Amino acid sequence: MTILLGAVLVAAAVVLYVVQPVFSGEQAPLTSLDEEFTEAEARRRLSLMALRDVEYDYATGKVDEHDYRRLRDELAREALEALREVRRSQEEAGDAPPQEDAMADDLEREIAAYRIALRAGTLCDQCGSANVEEALFCATCGAPLGPERKERAAPAGRS
Amino acid sequence: MILLGEFALWVALPVSIWGIVLAFVGGRQQRGDLVLSAERSVYAVFFLLCLTSLGIILAFLGGHYEYWYVWAYSSRELETYFKVTGLWAGQRGSLVFWVLLLALFSSIAVFQNRRRNREFMPAVVGVLLTITAFFLGVLLFADVNPFERLAFTPANGQGLNPQLQNYWMTIHPPTLYLGFTSFSVPFAFGIAALVTGKTDARWLVVTRRWTLMSWFFLTNGIIFGMRWAYEELGWGGYWFWDPVENASLLPWLTATAFLHSIMIQEHRGMLKMWNLSLVSLTFLLTVFATFLTRSGLIESVHSFAQNTRIAYIFLAFMGAAAAVCLILILWRKDDLRGERTIESFLSRESAFLMNNLILLGSAFAVLWGTLFPLISEGFAGQKVAVGPAFFNRVNIPIGLVLLALTGIGPVIAWRRATRRNLRRNFQAPVMMAVAVVAGLLIAGMRGFYALATFAICGFVLTILATEFWKGTKARARIEGEGPGRAFLHLIARNRRRWGGYIVHVGIVLMFAGFAGSSFQTEIDQSVEPGDQIRAASPFGHEYVLTYQGLSSSRTPNMWQWVALMDVSRNGRRVGTITSEQRIYVTADQPIREVGIRSTPVEDVYVILAGVDDFEGAVLNDASAQGAVFQVLVRPLVGWIWYGGLVITLGSLIALWPGAGAPVRREVRAAPARTRLAKV
Repeated sequence: MTILLGAVLVAAAVVLYVVQPVFSGEQAPLTSLDEEFTEAEARRRLSLMALRDVEYDYATGKVDEHDYRRLRDELAREALEALREVRRSQEEAGDAPPQEDAMADDLEREIAAYRIALRAGTLCDQCGSANVEEALFCATCGAPLGPERKERAAPAGRS
Repeated sequence: MILLGEFALWVALPVSIWGIVLAFVGGRQQRGDLVLSAERSVYAVFFLLCLTSLGIILAFLGGHYEYWYVWAYSSRELETYFKVTGLWAGQRGSLVFWVLLLALFSSIAVFQNRRRNREFMPAVVGVLLTITAFFLGVLLFADVNPFERLAFTPANGQGLNPQLQNYWMTIHPPTLYLGFTSFSVPFAFGIAALVTGKTDARWLVVTRRWTLMSWFFLTNGIIFGMRWAYEELGWGGYWFWDPVENASLLPWLTATAFLHSIMIQEHRGMLKMWNLSLVSLTFLLTVFATFLTRSGLIESVHSFAQNTRIAYIFLAFMGAAAAVCLILILWRKDDLRGERTIESFLSRESAFLMNNLILLGSAFAVLWGTLFPLISEGFAGQKVAVGPAFFNRVNIPIGLVLLALTGIGPVIAWRRATRRNLRRNFQAPVMMAVAVVAGLLIAGMRGFYALATFAICGFVLTILATEFWKGTKARARIEGEGPGRAFLHLIARNRRRWGGYIVHVGIVLMFAGFAGSSFQTEIDQSVEPGDQIRAASPFGHEYVLTYQGLSSSRTPNMWQWVALMDVSRNGRRVGTITSEQRIYVTADQPIREVGIRSTPVEDVYVILAGVDDFEGAVLNDASAQGAVFQVLVRPLVGWIWYGGLVITLGSLIALWPGAGAPVRREVRAAPARTRLAKV
């Protein structure tokens, strides 16, 4: 008897739990709630990762100067491309679209910042943020800027 | 409670079918309520299977021998510990255990992605529940229900196969099963990527850690199995190319290939179709391995069950799954075209591709050899087994090339490596390899493969050591840190890379162990107490084992004869070794419990091969102490296990969650503007 009761209870609980959303209309989200893994974002990450590898390969003598420059520029371009797309999709998602000019300015500045950071080796390889030339730590996530960082940037920041 | 467990198993099947239908319909019609209901079915199935497993364990603990499964795999004398592990001791229970783990991982995956990656989830839930439903269907309808009752209640069970009453055997199958089942998650995401058409690198980013985890469990499961064979099977080896060993190796080979080829897609946007094929293939092979282990289709040390009906059901499922994967991949063919092509033969991409082809080649050879008995039976009407000789002949050269690639891969640059750089990077390692060969030849070692193995080990270790050294040096210079700190920070900052390299070091150690252990000395000798057995190790040490005598005893579970040996090495006493034979109450054949004295240099492996006078020995008669021993001295066997530990360490480093992942998870696209303000 208790067995029967137990079985009925288990079955009823399971069925209620599973079927409830269909009747109550409770919804599971069908699109990602945070934009963490949009396609462009994934691409941006991957190019930054690849960029870091190239920096590392250069630092340890696996690629020569010429190839290093070529690859680095190519990857930086890809990262920027992806970045632009990330921003575009944000605007589509309804993040208050800024003025046309202001947006163009923003992009220009962001690109410029990336260029500077790339040259100085202060592109954070934890989060991908571009930091100013003399930065020792990433302004966004606080990670120390790594071995890829060029020495010429060091004296300015370290006295 | 046991009945409730059986009931839960019956409820789980309709619930999972409900979930499958709602997941696919909800995904297609974009109905959030249906998808939510499907996701809840995943949790519900996990809950129900917990009840089922609990029911089985309670049946074992309570000695309910009216259940065939409990009767066949336990007895009253069995230790409690082995009664609990009875859940995965036999085919029926282990199928329940398999699907329990699958439900667990499905639940984790659903929970993890309750807010993220939602576009994939309907298909992911659908795929995971389909696999679940298949296994539930097998359990209920293929004569393998663990709750099947006998017509009467026997007073006692048959007992557990004594060879399974071993510590390694209790953790080896669960570890392997963890690896098999967790691979369903990357597979489900791969299929979801195909179904939704989002075939970019996102699904790889999402499942990267799952893949690594699965690989980690598979690797450990295989090594535990080797350890079990070495300690328990009593013939001095650790790998016999047994069909079931092969079955667990197959998904490992393709999973390893997958682990490397996803890096090409991540970095270079190439090989999309290849990766999807590999993830499907690996999944199919995990099912195949489960099937082979538990169907008894091919003779093996593991075949504890024979049931042909289940074989056809499994084959049909694998065929259908393969067809679905193939159709989906062909359907998305145009999206799967690579963004780029390989620029140069001398590049990391091509090294990885090479590694992939070789791993697949090896997998194919192993599969062919494993299935050959069946194929030959089908065509020639006679089962012809393929011995270890075939596997060794094919796989040793393949293994050596792979071993070399574990060193070449890390130092060759992406896209295009220049000859000059190659020369610079490979000069020292090649010299090291030559030096190793020269040194070993002078020391008197012969044998092409062993020499080649040690040479390649030297080559790879030099490369990896240089990598660590260079990285540490660069970091120490730039950050002004001490070498120890710089080394630790270096690893912490890019765990996947350095964890991977540490795994490579572990592989090198294992290969050194494989090569070393091929130089074993073997002595068979019949002795009386006081007699000595002399064995010279290949390293030139002389072991003298003095036989002390035999002692017999009996426990409720078995009779055992324990032989004691006094061991001295180069004239100095180093300890004792005991070696046993046991006859379990429930089995006819005596089982050997070998005695092993393990050092980093070599193992002394003592097998009590026979006792001259059993009756006398049972009575502990002083005049009936004669026995036959087999003594093996195997160099470097320990390195296999040390290598395993190093691999574990490396994969844990790569797996460890948190900031060490290449790009931090918490960072979203959203703060891009605020970031800019700071810059």
